[in-house]
Amino acid sequence: MALFARKDRKTAPGADEALGLFLFDAVNDAMSAERVLKAAGYEVFLVAPPAHLRAGCDLSVALPRVEHIGAERELIDAGVPLREWVADTEGTAEVCDLVTSVDFGQWLMVRAGNMKIVVEKETGLIVNTSGGGCPDIPYLNLALVGKRVDEVPRPKDLGYTLCGLMLDRAYQEVRAQLDVREMTAVGVGGGTA
Amino acid sequence: MTLLVVATYPVVDGPVLEGPVTIEPDGAIAIGGTRVPSSQGTSAMLGAAAQVAVHLGTPPPHALVAGDIGRGDGTRAVYGRLAEAVKRIGPSVIAFHYMQPVMALMRSAVHELAEIAPDVLLVADAGGMYAAKAAGLATRFELMTPDVGEVGFLADPEVTHPAYVSHYLFGNDGFDPVALAARAHETGGSSRVLLIKGVRDHIAEYGAIAEVVDEPCVPELEAIGGTGDTVAGLASAFLAAGFPTVDAARCASLANREAGRAMGATPAMHASDLVAALPGVLAGNLCRWGGACAV
Repeated sequence: MALFARKDRKTAPGADEALGLFLFDAVNDAMSAERVLKAAGYEVFLVAPPAHLRAGCDLSVALPRVEHIGAERELIDAGVPLREWVADTEGTAEVCDLVTSVDFGQWLMVRAGNMKIVVEKETGLIVNTSGGGCPDIPYLNLALVGKRVDEVPRPKDLGYTLCGLMLDRAYQEVRAQLDVREMTAVGVGGGTA
Repeated sequence: MTLLVVATYPVVDGPVLEGPVTIEPDGAIAIGGTRVPSSQGTSAMLGAAAQVAVHLGTPPPHALVAGDIGRGDGTRAVYGRLAEAVKRIGPSVIAFHYMQPVMALMRSAVHELAEIAPDVLLVADAGGMYAAKAAGLATRFELMTPDVGEVGFLADPEVTHPAYVSHYLFGNDGFDPVALAARAHETGGSSRVLLIKGVRDHIAEYGAIAEVVDEPCVPELEAIGGTGDTVAGLASAFLAAGFPTVDAARCASLANREAGRAMGATPAMHASDLVAALPGVLAGNLCRWGGACAV
């Protein structure tokens, strides 16, 4: 019997739970950690580390302190490089959650934070990505533009930086909006018999 | 009179490339004769800068770039070569563009440049701008070119990346570029001149608005990846050609907008289309906008 069983946690960390942070040397390591820990049942969220712990383009994973040991084991087992654990979240900042969209008629543009994605509504073809300033953004542009939005990997899985993370949010939103349009077009969810 | 662009290109393990920037007959960008992928980002910036140099008859932009897809390896490689390149080339303007925003690397570079090239004018956009501001070095820069999603970042002394800024984005309620430019200046988050790219482009000098450019208005440009990069390239090239900084920013804004109009921009077009439209735009308008005619 394992001493530390996999988590099966369904509730978000309560406001009264003391939180701590896993710090990483690379943003994509933080994104990998989030993926691993969520798959293991942990409720975690991505935040900017406190200012005195930042090197530039930083991202950390917050979770209840009491879950630190088991979560760290999950990360080690999954091979996610970890810089350190900090038992404090004072001074952290959450990633921007502001998402807006612009309808260009034939095309739909979604903005998330400083990133944008543009999709042709009829075909689902990604015709542009823009914004940001980290080096994975031109790389993602080459990887995504010209392909259908439902046939490409998530930007989060291809990118390495906070800009890539924000593009992932725009990608998720544009997919959600196109899915709604498709369901509406075939009569699903229309509310009438 | 030389512009040096320090940046990355989106190729895994791509080597350091250094040399003059040229535009190939098919529109591709080449650095020292080596073609780099055409996308948003630095290739768009270099293409626009190269078109200005061709038009004005000034030296082509010089690029120092390395392959980087977000892991920071290419960024570290170009910082490692920067001092030697600057001593050899003697640029009048250095523009930092798509790079991993690592504060320590930018801090070290700016301090070294103050020693070896004290008169060089520094420009920053994209990751170069994020690193400069986050490291507390924005005031050492002559020009930065944020968009509306980035000027809030410059105005907030607590944040180190635009992804953590929720206020004032996208021209939503409360967005006030005039106030943000002033706040960025007061808090040390601004270069001497800011070109804030948006529906209306605001040019601020020492935190006060000096120019506003809003015509022609081409909303589709926002959807085209790289059209902010072309503004940065235009402004950097005009600056290297000797334009006063506010004039360089104004002419960059006007040229980008006019190119968007001339190309009949749609959201499915690309920055390379804008770069291709620039020769006609510059030939037809630059004398009138900036008093600078082709030599």
